[in-house]
Amino acid sequence: MTEVLQLELIVGIVVTFILILIFVLSAKKGNFDDQKKMMDGMLFDSPDDLRSAVKQEAKQEEMKKKKRESKELDK
Amino acid sequence: MLRKRFDLSDVKCSHCQLAFDASVMIEEGDALYFCCKGCQGVYHLLKDDGLDAFYDKMRNNTIAPPLENDKDSSSFDLESFKQRYIKTDADGFSRVDLVIEGIHCAACVWLNEKILNETEGVLEVSINFSNNKAKLVWDEETVKLSTLIEKIRLVGYNAYPYDFNEVSQQSIDAKRDYISRMGVAIFGVLNIMMIDVAKYAGYFLGMDREVLHMIHLVEFLFSTMVLFYSGWIFFKGAYYGLKNKIINMDLLVSGGATITYFYSISILFGAKGQSYFDSVAMIILFVLVGKYLEVLGKKSAMDSMDRMKSQIPLEATIIENGIKKVVTLDEVKVGDIIEVKNGEKASVDGVSIVKLATFDESSLSGESLPVEKQKGDNIFSGTINTGNVMRYEATKNYANSSLSTMMNLLEDALASKPKIEETTNRLSQHFSLSIIILAMLSFVGWYFYSGDFEKSLIITISVIVIACPCALALATPIASLVGISWATQKGLLFKEAKFIETFAKATTVVVDKTGTITKGKLTVKHQSKVLNEEHLALLYALLSGSTHPVSQSIKKYLETTAKEIDALNLENIEQVSAQGMLAHYGKIQLLGGNAKLMQRHGIMVEKSAYTVYHFAIDGVLISSFELEDSIKENVTELIAYFKKEKIDLFMATGDSKEVASRLANEVGIESFMSQMSPLDKANKIKALKEQGEIVVMVGDGINDTLALSYADIAIVMGSGADVALAMSDVVVQNNSLLGIKDAFVISRRTYKFIKQNLLISLLYNVITIPLAIAGYVMPLFAALSMSVSSLLVVGNSMRIKIKK
Repeated sequence: MTEVLQLELIVGIVVTFILILIFVLSAKKGNFDDQKKMMDGMLFDSPDDLRSAVKQEAKQEEMKKKKRESKELDK
Repeated sequence: MLRKRFDLSDVKCSHCQLAFDASVMIEEGDALYFCCKGCQGVYHLLKDDGLDAFYDKMRNNTIAPPLENDKDSSSFDLESFKQRYIKTDADGFSRVDLVIEGIHCAACVWLNEKILNETEGVLEVSINFSNNKAKLVWDEETVKLSTLIEKIRLVGYNAYPYDFNEVSQQSIDAKRDYISRMGVAIFGVLNIMMIDVAKYAGYFLGMDREVLHMIHLVEFLFSTMVLFYSGWIFFKGAYYGLKNKIINMDLLVSGGATITYFYSISILFGAKGQSYFDSVAMIILFVLVGKYLEVLGKKSAMDSMDRMKSQIPLEATIIENGIKKVVTLDEVKVGDIIEVKNGEKASVDGVSIVKLATFDESSLSGESLPVEKQKGDNIFSGTINTGNVMRYEATKNYANSSLSTMMNLLEDALASKPKIEETTNRLSQHFSLSIIILAMLSFVGWYFYSGDFEKSLIITISVIVIACPCALALATPIASLVGISWATQKGLLFKEAKFIETFAKATTVVVDKTGTITKGKLTVKHQSKVLNEEHLALLYALLSGSTHPVSQSIKKYLETTAKEIDALNLENIEQVSAQGMLAHYGKIQLLGGNAKLMQRHGIMVEKSAYTVYHFAIDGVLISSFELEDSIKENVTELIAYFKKEKIDLFMATGDSKEVASRLANEVGIESFMSQMSPLDKANKIKALKEQGEIVVMVGDGINDTLALSYADIAIVMGSGADVALAMSDVVVQNNSLLGIKDAFVISRRTYKFIKQNLLISLLYNVITIPLAIAGYVMPLFAALSMSVSSLLVVGNSMRIKIKK
């Protein structure tokens, strides 16, 4: 019984500390700068908004890639 | 357009959702109504672009109708703009920080982000809902910034750049740091509390030693994380305090928590007793919440400063040899002729060179009605031209102009500390030292009395934690912050927070007459004798040498009554303080001024109850002008307030006894001093101070500067002379006399709350410290009650703005 508890605790603590690390890093990156907007997004963002966000990320990647390529060409 | 409250006859605008009378609406089909063409245009634009989800996101919110903006956005592409506001990142993308005007709700944020994100070349846009600031990253090679700004304007919003500097970054980093530390502390405390349920249940019902050990171990892990990560700032604060030989509250917090932590570790490793890991985490969390509130306050002050700074125009159009040239603000020199179009802002201070113009001065004075400006009137930087295109001559460069000066003053005020705060800080240092000594004595006393080490240690910890002077340290700054921000909203600029205290204690007010009680705009009521052409030219030349309101009024009067005046050059012009002027034209001696000046030169003049300007040539009186000055609005209300509050009021004027007496009777001032030179006024203030009075001087002219510098508090009207403004402690930006009353009301109320806050924190300590020493308070409750005392102080300060 105690062994099971111990194992659960170890796993729980490891997972917890990973989550805390993610939280700290995202806070430092500015993910919680605008709490109002974050709450509003959680409550009211539609599937369309999520799709737009994914599209936007893909657009960002593509733009960065193009920029890098044009930089290399310049060199 | 007249806006009314919603009733049955009102319909809602399909775009902004504001309700208006059906008769004033633009109807389109059966179901669409618009309050203006702007709303109609934006509505269709959003529909056409498939952005009508905006209306679903608005839910029950309303927004203001779109901002009308036909301003040219090409200035955003200027080289000077790029140098000042645009940064390029490592990938070669450009970044600009903007303040978006017109954002009301989450839907506005969504719309602006959406419209920009869907534009080719935009990499990232992030708008902060709470402060309307936006970060925009885009590829300059694909799209120009001006095109993006046009997009924002098209949907009815407007954007200004703001200078994102190191200080802004530091304040953002500080906030992020606190969020992450607080998040970890909340997480740690919640988990410890959850585990504590099992621990305390086991305490009463019995628990296996091994399980208890496991619980302690988990508590130890979480509290270690909270103490050394979340509480790191307290260790840092304590270290810097000790380095400067100061015992501060950080030392009390970190010291208390660390002792508890190591004691609990000894329990974990087998010592007898109870562990207090939960108290360690809670002490840190509660105090951290108080600190976070402080950081938020500072951040919000920074945001309002940035919003003000974003109102500064980017460049100015100057006229050089008849050719228009756009230059950056730093390039504008004194004497440049500046052109301001309708809706544009004046870039630097100057004087109008056109016959008539109108300006919206609300950014400086809070006065919403446009102010008429005639030729020669002052134009202030940051004010908006609401009339036709106009030109004015720069009298100051950008750095010395009103907007820039006001912002510097505000920054200084936010950074300064009131006297009472300095005293409190000193007090809390002594207090902290006394608490450490008291805690040590408690430990020794309890240990010798009971022989119980654990109990003695817990009592010591409770004493340290409960006595942490957080509330004492918060009492003054938080109240001052609320007071100063309230004053700013009322158009009052307290140059330093410390003036709140002196103002609140003031017992006597000395007011200047001209420009303070009266409008300072004199008009000639009567002229004793019409002047011939030669005398007219001499008088005009004499008057041209003075900027005194009396001289200026007579000069204006002569310009309007005489057809032509010859221009003459005078020699040996001499200003006689508070009396008038003396000059020579060849061998002719000219005298112009009040009765005192005439009497000094042996010229007898009649006494009058009005302001009289006498003009004499070679000792012979030529003509006298009787002038009348209109009294400012709200004088009686101000005087009634002083009487009610038992504040002594003196009016000091350089005018004759008759003029002063007539005015004093008219407005109800009981004490007045006439024929006062600037030195007399200063001496009167000195004498009042020697009698133990705390004196407030209200003035506006150069002649008041000496008296202003002698007074405990110097109030100057916003329209006052520069030197007077420089000498002032409080500036009444809207020139209203009620501003003086507001300054008294705000500072007295703020000071009252400062005293209340100090009383709350002291009472808290008086009650709780003996209880802790007597052993009635657990460290956990000590931390909780300490935080409650801080919250009480913050909550009490928030009441300052709530008027009875």
